[in-house]
Amino acid sequence: MTAQTTPDTARRGPTTREPARGERWIRRTPLLPGLLFVIAMTQIPFLFTVYYSFQDSNLLRPDSGSFAGIANYGRVLGDPLFRNAVANTVVLTAGAVLLSLALGLALAVLLDRSFPGRGVVRTLLITPFLVMPVAAALLWKTSVYHPVYGLLNWALSPFGIEADWVNDFPLLSVVMVLTWQWTPFMMLIMLAGLQSQSPEVLEAARVDGARPLAVFRRITFPHLRRFVELALLLGTIYIVQTFDAVYMITQGGPGQASTNLPYFIYLQAFRAFDVGEAAAAGVIVVAATLVVAMFALRVVSSLFEEES
Amino acid sequence: MASVGFEKATHFYPGTEAPAVDELSLEVEDGEFLVLVGPSGCGKSTSLRMLAGLEEVDSGTIRIGGEDVTDSSPLERDIAMVFQSYALYPHMSVAQNMGFALEMAKVARPERERRVLEAARLLDLEPLLHRRPKALSGGQRQRVAMGRAIVREPRVFLMDEPLSNLDAQLRVSTRTQIAALQKRLGVTTVYVTHDQVEAMTMGDRVAVLKDGVLQQCDSPVRLYEHPANAFVAGFIGSPAMNLREFPLSREGVRVGDAALPLTPGQRRRLADEGASSALLGFRPEAVDLVGEGEGFAMEVGLVEHLGADCYLYGGLPGHPADGDLVVRVAPHAAPAAGGTVRLGVRPGRVHVFSPGTGERLDG
Repeated sequence: MTAQTTPDTARRGPTTREPARGERWIRRTPLLPGLLFVIAMTQIPFLFTVYYSFQDSNLLRPDSGSFAGIANYGRVLGDPLFRNAVANTVVLTAGAVLLSLALGLALAVLLDRSFPGRGVVRTLLITPFLVMPVAAALLWKTSVYHPVYGLLNWALSPFGIEADWVNDFPLLSVVMVLTWQWTPFMMLIMLAGLQSQSPEVLEAARVDGARPLAVFRRITFPHLRRFVELALLLGTIYIVQTFDAVYMITQGGPGQASTNLPYFIYLQAFRAFDVGEAAAAGVIVVAATLVVAMFALRVVSSLFEEES
Repeated sequence: MASVGFEKATHFYPGTEAPAVDELSLEVEDGEFLVLVGPSGCGKSTSLRMLAGLEEVDSGTIRIGGEDVTDSSPLERDIAMVFQSYALYPHMSVAQNMGFALEMAKVARPERERRVLEAARLLDLEPLLHRRPKALSGGQRQRVAMGRAIVREPRVFLMDEPLSNLDAQLRVSTRTQIAALQKRLGVTTVYVTHDQVEAMTMGDRVAVLKDGVLQQCDSPVRLYEHPANAFVAGFIGSPAMNLREFPLSREGVRVGDAALPLTPGQRRRLADEGASSALLGFRPEAVDLVGEGEGFAMEVGLVEHLGADCYLYGGLPGHPADGDLVVRVAPHAAPAAGGTVRLGVRPGRVHVFSPGTGERLDG
């Protein structure tokens, strides 16, 4: 080892000299537009939001706009409708993420074997992810959930089940649309995980006398662990922000039964015109998402760690 | 422990016309170490995978211990396999890796631990039992893969080029260890390699395959001294046997300015084929330097000193394009490069093959 590293560092020696100041800037310049763009598009709006969250700002009161301290935060946290939105968001996100992950894993396992027409099937399975969320929500609302013309009632009528889905089960309706949209995403991540597995390891397990279920549970699933973590994390971050489906299908209703956090913020800002409170709620959601994501990731990792 | 039998076993890969393994018939006795050897793509690994149940048998039968296992799944065959990549379970410790098969067979934990420890002692793996495969060196991983096979006490060991990922030095020492271990455990073993030295040093018998067809299955000595055809003759031995076509003459075969005699039987069979030449083979060490007026002449192009031996590379005078002949001589007798020597092939050490089919011609 040492004999190998010595000539290596010696060879690298002359190239690692400190580049001159001017040269460094020449190297960085091409990256600057991208950097500035990212800052302008993400950080400035966020800073504005933070600024507004400390202002007493209501578009209906032109005289408002004074510094309000943490009053906005206090009012948001004390608002029972906000707490209701938090609860709805948790149910919506957990439901959609877990369902789409389970379905995605099942589909990925099926796609991980070769059969005629596999490419076509894979493409078709991915398409829900490519449909615009608003269009998908509209489609589900009008052609699937509609109490009279809906496909769901038509399909379930032989079993004597009939319901006004959007009214009777507003959260479930949104969860189903989100699951339909996010299953391809989960499936792709799981498929990448399955295909990165060494076929010889699976063969070794078969020769070692493991039946298919045992191979999956003892060999494949531990291998998929990192992929599951990633899918959970990304899925959660995206689905917490769901707005389109709620807006299109239930408008947060009936009452507040399906109002999630983004829709709550929308109502505060564009129905109540209370920019200050909406901004405070936005900041709370960003902070909470960060904390929850980090915490969830730790919990999931340690769970898996104990098992293996 | 059990015998293994292939009977006209054939395998086609989907989408190919030629079989990967073509009517392989082979018997391996109980406790025997059989090596399958051949160039890449000859079907040796496929044959092993058919025996393991990882590849389907399109026609023919495979037997383990006299029982037909052609259509049984790997787990019903009671075999253990060592893979080229070792295929260790990356998320399990060495002990878990080795105990996995026993766990699957529902062996009780104390018994399992006892057997894992026993195998670990045998292979010098005891201090590594709690490590993950990632934290092991190549040689250690190889031993874990062996350990995983030994712990099971299977009827047959299958090994698919288990040494090809080791460095040259380790390969030689591990080679002898595996051969010694197999003798000690007495488990029937089928071993696949592309390295003819490995095949010759390890196997009780060696089966040479080419293009999915079994060429010859014999003891290493017999393969070396009595190759069944020109392919086996050229494949076994290092440096390779000198194989070249020479024109027939009235007394035998013309080699340069000399003639090598053929037996009446060989002459008759060549005549039956209508051949005007014969494919002659002689090993580099079957040749002596002889005096003027004997043997045939060779122009020495290159002299290679290896210490104990010395190899002369050269060609017949006036036939430089015919490729090099290789001859082994004692180091003190080595001539200088550029000169001409006269060579005599020792009687009985010339192999004669048909130029058309490559078949060995005897009698």
